[in-house]
Amino acid sequence: MFRPGLVHTPITPFKADQSIDYGTYAKILEFHLKHGAEALALPMPEGEDLSLTDVEQRALLKFAIAQVKGRVPIIAHVSDAGTAITVERAIFAEKAGATAIASHPPYFWHPRPAMVVEHLVQVGKAITLPLFVVNPPVETAGTSLTTEMVLQLIEKVPNLAGVVDASLDFVFMEEIMCLGQQIRPDFQLLSGGDFSVPSGTLGGSGVFSTLSSIAPKLARRVFELSRQEKYLEAREPQEQIAELHHLIRNAGESGLKDGLAGMKTAMAAFGRPCGNPRPPVRALGEIERGKISEALAGMAFLKDEPRGW
Amino acid sequence: MSAVLKPSTASPVTPRNYGKFNLHGVMQAPVTPLKEDFSFDGDGFAKMVDFHVRHKAPAIAWPHHKAESLNLTIAERKLGAEIAVKTVNKRVPVSIFVGTLSEEDSLDLARHAQKIGADMILTISPYCRRPSQEEMFDSIVRIATHTDLPMLTYNSPWRNGEGVEFTADLTARLIERLPNYIGMKDASFHSEKFLEISRVALKMRPGFAIIQGVEHLLAAYPLGACGSFSSSGAIAPNLCNRFFASMEAGDWKTARECQFIILQMYRMFKEQYPSSLKGAMINMGRPVGPTRPPLPTATKERVEFLRAQLDKLGVLETEPHGW
Repeated sequence: MFRPGLVHTPITPFKADQSIDYGTYAKILEFHLKHGAEALALPMPEGEDLSLTDVEQRALLKFAIAQVKGRVPIIAHVSDAGTAITVERAIFAEKAGATAIASHPPYFWHPRPAMVVEHLVQVGKAITLPLFVVNPPVETAGTSLTTEMVLQLIEKVPNLAGVVDASLDFVFMEEIMCLGQQIRPDFQLLSGGDFSVPSGTLGGSGVFSTLSSIAPKLARRVFELSRQEKYLEAREPQEQIAELHHLIRNAGESGLKDGLAGMKTAMAAFGRPCGNPRPPVRALGEIERGKISEALAGMAFLKDEPRGW
Repeated sequence: MSAVLKPSTASPVTPRNYGKFNLHGVMQAPVTPLKEDFSFDGDGFAKMVDFHVRHKAPAIAWPHHKAESLNLTIAERKLGAEIAVKTVNKRVPVSIFVGTLSEEDSLDLARHAQKIGADMILTISPYCRRPSQEEMFDSIVRIATHTDLPMLTYNSPWRNGEGVEFTADLTARLIERLPNYIGMKDASFHSEKFLEISRVALKMRPGFAIIQGVEHLLAAYPLGACGSFSSSGAIAPNLCNRFFASMEAGDWKTARECQFIILQMYRMFKEQYPSSLKGAMINMGRPVGPTRPPLPTATKERVEFLRAQLDKLGVLETEPHGW
């Protein structure tokens, strides 16, 4: 079974005319490979998947696969509101050469639990690749996974490899590892976001690292120490990356604290400009941009992080 | 399960600062024994508290929600607090929970706790009101400045209404304002929320006690949580103590095994909490009577079900029976 370790989740750059900036996207992908990505997952929510059309999502995936040329596995993220749309895109991703598929519960709708499970069963059935289901942050406006849904999915989807958990909820992580591994011993937990200490103590084995776009060295240090079960040593870098996480997420106007505007501002501050988020997400104003730059400059632990590409 | 604790080979363990009261480990929050007519069973309660202390509870905290605190009268809460302090008799610290619907009662309970010689109080954000951060600040400050006792706060963002939580900012302001603010029972059970509080609070006040629930302690322990308030010791004190010792030794494998057993126990108890906990105690030879309405009392069938589950988890044979 495919066991992704440190997975980077590239952002998607846009030009001023809102088109995808493929020249910069190539640089972003190379940046991640150069700085320790063991796999890539794209386009995740931090890659603004919600703002990309179906055609764009397919083109982006094809571009990434051609650019990466098999140097690391690529996990294609396919999530949408409708089951058929999601399934079709998953089939496309498999044919295009992705190594695995990651998928959220259906976007927007709040179906009954049995329908959420059915949606993800359909995605799993349509592909032969390993499937990772993604649990969104607790602030989500959408549907979250419950332990019971995950246990049902393990029973029903033979190619379900694990959960990417961005809810960061101790109870959920504990339950799916304790009870999920009773059904399938190699069932995986990956931390959605750079919190590998808590998930690692509970048996988590990987991370979807959102902050590797900004601080890949710090992200790797937290992950490596957790992988070696050196949790007490990992505490300091875990606290540092949590501080960075807090700064990025709380910038901007999103009620979900999606961090999109903060992320792109921080990337520019590190010499890797990639434009603004797509509307309706607002870019940060000048004052807020200044605040973020100042806060980043005040984080001494970021001084060794790469500047530029 | 491996009962032998291997010494840590992984990490250099620096001794932690557990604060003036050395609050750490799986601290026990006893349930409230009731007689068959639902009246408070003072003798039973003394037995319960003594059981915890004899089985190495590093602190006693009462009456938390699992002790049916809001279903007890203020007079009963005072009587129970007196029994707890007297029974513990300085063997370990005693924390008295003063959260009530009306703040006037909380102030009264705080005064009483100080008078009878409790070591600290625990308070919570106002119930049933979804207070703002400012209202929470004022309320906590009023209670904390009403007593000379050290104070803990109870952060319960999932139970007390969305948005009703001790954010890192609020915690920092309270630490700054209150010299007697020594720790927090944090039931956010969330990586990001925990780290926001821990990295701010522990920097401002080293030894600040961040206390989890035992059912979800492992994820937070390496990040600075000092222990937990729990009732699991009423069922499985050996397991609780082994769990904490394995974390202190950096034996993460044993810790995870213990955590997962405790989790499975908690999943049985959380349904109709705390009546299932009380029901399970019958199976350990420590009956503590019914649960006050509107909460249900565990039925005979439920008690039998719990017995089978405890057996399956290996708890029946590895834990003490009777008082």
